[in-house]
Amino acid sequence: MNKNNQNSSRPALSNYVFRPEFSSLLILIVMFTITAILQENFFTLKSIVRNINAFAPLILLAMGAAVVIISGGIDLSAGSALSLFTCVLTTVMKKSDPITGVYAILVTLAVAILVGVVNGFGIGYLRIPPVIVTFATSYIWLGIGLFLRPTPGGESVEWFRIFYNPGMIEGIHPYIKQFGRVIPPALILILAACLIWFIVSKTRIGRHIYAVGSNSESAYASGINTAKVQMQACIINSIFIFLAALFFVGQNQSGDARMGDPLTLRAIASAIVGGVAISGGKGSVYFALVGALILNFVNKIIFFADISTAYQTLVSGLIVIIAIAAPVAYTLYSKE
Amino acid sequence: MNLGISMFFERYKKIIVAFILIVLLFALGGIIVPNFLTVEQVLFTLKLASFTALFALCQMIVIAAGGSGLDLSVGYAATLTAVLTASVMDGQNANLGAAILIALALGSAIGLANGALVSFLELPPLVVTMAMANILQGIVNAYTAGRNITGRPSPILATLAAKSTGKFPNILFILFTITVLVMIVLNKTKWGTILFGVGSNETTAYLSGINVKAVRCAVFVISGILASLTGLLLIGNMGIAFKDMASNYVMPSIAAVVVGGVSLTGGDGNYIGVILGAIFLQALTNLLIAFGLGDAGKWLAFGIVLYVLLSFYASDRRSR
Amino acid sequence: MIVLEAIGIKKNFGGVVALSNANLRCYQGRITGLLGANGSGKSTMSKIICGVYQADGGEIKYKGRTVRYRSPSEARKDGIAMVFQNLSLVADLTVWQNIVLGKEESNGIFLNNDSAKELSRKILAQLLPDLDINKKVSQLNPGEMQIVEIAKAISQNPQLLILDEPTAALEQAQVKNLFDCMRALAKEGVAMIFTSHRLWEVMEICDDVTIFRNGENVATIDFEKDEKDPEKIISYITGDTQKTKVEKKHVAVTDETILSIKNLNYGKSLKNVSFDLKKGEILGIGGLAGQGQLELMHALAGAFHSLHCDAELRGKKIKLNRPLNAIKEGIVFVPGDKQLEGLFLKRSVLFNMIFPKMGLPGHPSFIPYDEYRRECEEIVEVLSIKTPTVDVPVENLSGGNQQKVVVGKWLPFDINVLLLADPAKGIDVGAKRDLYQYIVNQVQEKNTSVILYASDNEELVEYCDRVLIMYEGQIVASLEGGDINQDTIIACSMRLR
Repeated sequence: MNKNNQNSSRPALSNYVFRPEFSSLLILIVMFTITAILQENFFTLKSIVRNINAFAPLILLAMGAAVVIISGGIDLSAGSALSLFTCVLTTVMKKSDPITGVYAILVTLAVAILVGVVNGFGIGYLRIPPVIVTFATSYIWLGIGLFLRPTPGGESVEWFRIFYNPGMIEGIHPYIKQFGRVIPPALILILAACLIWFIVSKTRIGRHIYAVGSNSESAYASGINTAKVQMQACIINSIFIFLAALFFVGQNQSGDARMGDPLTLRAIASAIVGGVAISGGKGSVYFALVGALILNFVNKIIFFADISTAYQTLVSGLIVIIAIAAPVAYTLYSKE
Repeated sequence: MNLGISMFFERYKKIIVAFILIVLLFALGGIIVPNFLTVEQVLFTLKLASFTALFALCQMIVIAAGGSGLDLSVGYAATLTAVLTASVMDGQNANLGAAILIALALGSAIGLANGALVSFLELPPLVVTMAMANILQGIVNAYTAGRNITGRPSPILATLAAKSTGKFPNILFILFTITVLVMIVLNKTKWGTILFGVGSNETTAYLSGINVKAVRCAVFVISGILASLTGLLLIGNMGIAFKDMASNYVMPSIAAVVVGGVSLTGGDGNYIGVILGAIFLQALTNLLIAFGLGDAGKWLAFGIVLYVLLSFYASDRRSR
Repeated sequence: MIVLEAIGIKKNFGGVVALSNANLRCYQGRITGLLGANGSGKSTMSKIICGVYQADGGEIKYKGRTVRYRSPSEARKDGIAMVFQNLSLVADLTVWQNIVLGKEESNGIFLNNDSAKELSRKILAQLLPDLDINKKVSQLNPGEMQIVEIAKAISQNPQLLILDEPTAALEQAQVKNLFDCMRALAKEGVAMIFTSHRLWEVMEICDDVTIFRNGENVATIDFEKDEKDPEKIISYITGDTQKTKVEKKHVAVTDETILSIKNLNYGKSLKNVSFDLKKGEILGIGGLAGQGQLELMHALAGAFHSLHCDAELRGKKIKLNRPLNAIKEGIVFVPGDKQLEGLFLKRSVLFNMIFPKMGLPGHPSFIPYDEYRRECEEIVEVLSIKTPTVDVPVENLSGGNQQKVVVGKWLPFDINVLLLADPAKGIDVGAKRDLYQYIVNQVQEKNTSVILYASDNEELVEYCDRVLIMYEGQIVASLEGGDINQDTIIACSMRLR
């Protein structure tokens, strides 16, 4: 109602200070410091590796969520898609036959792309509100996942642990073992996601994702195939989720049709905490990573604060609300 | 006159579609599954659908107010109410009043929190209510951790929600009464007009002197209260309260609204259609169970129905 | 040489006929004006040519070849570019990113940003040399955005350039730059289609005009051969030869001050605005585009919650921080962007008409529909709103009739001050005449006071007793009597006087 007062030119410094990215970096530093103080062996290699492993899934999903949100969508099916991918992986793989691991990766990648296509088709081509499309598809993924794995379980080839900890694989070359101890595979998966986005962001697709998210009608009028762009965003998201699924199966050697559910909201929250505007077109995918780190550190702090695990869901829900409400409340307060 | 008829069809097109879908489903069930079309079975289906329809009412009111409103916390508000009031009621009619007070207080508190965050802080409804769902489930988890949920519903509640008068489930009387009330409020009073106005164009409504934020907040409060009261009925029907008793109603509540032909962009809402939607979903569930497709089949089917119907209705918008 | 020829184009939207049999010709190096009332089909025609819509019938020949574009990008590849009326810019991207949007050049797979920036600088050098191309579009004012929009179209090196209402948001000086640029393009052989509601602009820049009415082309005037007769053109647009001006009898503006505004401040857009409004007065608000006029109208309507202002109505202090407060005092607002701010498009005429009563304190819970329906039908009659029944959704009405609904919904109220924000924007000449006729009658009969913001200075000259000129959120001049003329208004708007 009062959208007419645009500030035309601000001084350069405040331009940066008032960016949401800045405050999220600040919060991250605070969280990091608190965790470092609380956890005695925080800076040891072992603990760093453990933290990266613990943080990786949310980081990957948050980056995916950021891509979709920037493109003007949202993905409520991320968690179910993650679960589905673990189910597909563990259904295709036979523990006794190492080559099935390769088949599983290829099949699941195809499934991941299909998942992205179905979401993107609904959002982009059918123009159903993204919230609703992905809400609907989340149940489709859940249903398929339950068909494949009515209860958690399934098989995984031994070498799949390479996505979690190569040290656990018997008979592997000691150099790889050593490498895996210093640089956890989870980190490589995150870097892979970053690299994918780095490349995409320098291409037309990346620019168009921002354009479509900011104003899809204008983008369409500029000759951009907005539906295609939204589908591309969904596919990129799906691929990031696929990377997370590799990690999970590497870690647990099993699939579970419901394991990903709690991650959906946390992934979206991470992106928002990282300064991605829910309205689309604004924010940075890398800062979704920062948002995910913040949420993870918060979890760790809860853990150190000795809060019963029964309260974990409660606290994480509260944190999401506080995380998204705080910046808005602050701006409202400072405007008065 | 011809114009009148075509306008009628245009206006109620989606409800007619929902009705046809139900008829087809029952016909299919009647052919394939024995006893699917007996009076008892149909009434039982209607009874189960009533609960979905009640949750869908919460959803419809929130959706009608626009602003891409949705309330994903309805099922969780109901669960929390049921869990907390079970021991309060403890099978005594005398305690029903207290239970209702608790439900009202809890529902309005939850609704107020949702509504304030959505309308006054302008946070996305979906994320807020999803987080609220987490919080409520968290409270339920914490409350039930290391102890059993004791208590039973008061007999009155059980009679209303679970028992039948003759073959006719009592819950259907409640649903009927609520339907009449909802139709009157939405179509005959200024509250309905304000709700639809805010949902169709918030700026116009605001410039016409309506406090849009208050309305958007109020719909969440109404939704919270209705959800909590439905939680009471649910414990009345089931006889006990448990951790996940109502969370499975969230998806169907939204699906029922969509099947019922209510636009998710807000500004309209016909509860009859929504009830038809709930019946359709329940009939579909029964059919799938009869085929031996349990949870997996149900969720898959709900997801696909929602996706397909939405793409069907979305084609209206695309043609412009 | 004919660049484009459209023959017998037909287009329906739902049941509404937008184009029934429309023809158009464009020539190399010439600027063709498209004129017509709203809903006459000229905008639809432009959009069909550039591929936003697809024709239901007829043929388009472009450079002698029959074409049928399914999207703007297909048309663009053939050298047809369009400057959109509703901006096609992306607010979160920078100026240069917008200019190359949709046609980015790549080195291999990566974008070539340097060449894009260079191209943007080159094009903007003609139109608006001071503009920083690294600014985000969200930081620009409406005029600058429109310029970027035009630059974007030009950057495609089109052979046919369609400019749909490009001047609506522009200042006089920017219009001049644009016209210079258009003439330069014409010299290079670019064919152009130009639409504008401002007749004098069309007459100044165009080589020929084609006039649309009810989805058909009714006349084509070649300015090289035929004389430029505005009255004749208007008669083609409206379809009748009636005089279009509303006769404004002299109304005795009373001395009684009805509304007094002092020290009205709102953010950066309104600074220390003070004025008095007399009973029975039509007070105009003028100035260049985007100088706070719209904000002032919204502020008076109570739309800004954090407004600072001392307002008195008939000597009584009032608060203007909520729309309801203003409405209760009989200060009612007719917004210019009717679809966005004034209507519930999907709802019936009746719903729209009765809605403002709903917020009034003490309104009965049950709506007295019988009474309201009768009242609504009366208003439909009084304003001659063309609708089959009052139960028809407002979206089925034409733009002019929609605007009448927005005015009509306030009629049952006891109006002290009628706020009109560009009420004639985007409606056709006929509806505009009806509307102003009604407003003038209202003023004459009931001594209502009116504050009229109009982007078209002609409307100010024609109807206002006094005109306030705004500049950067302040009132910089107050014109009365003989001073209310185009020249003075423009001079004061640009702070030349």
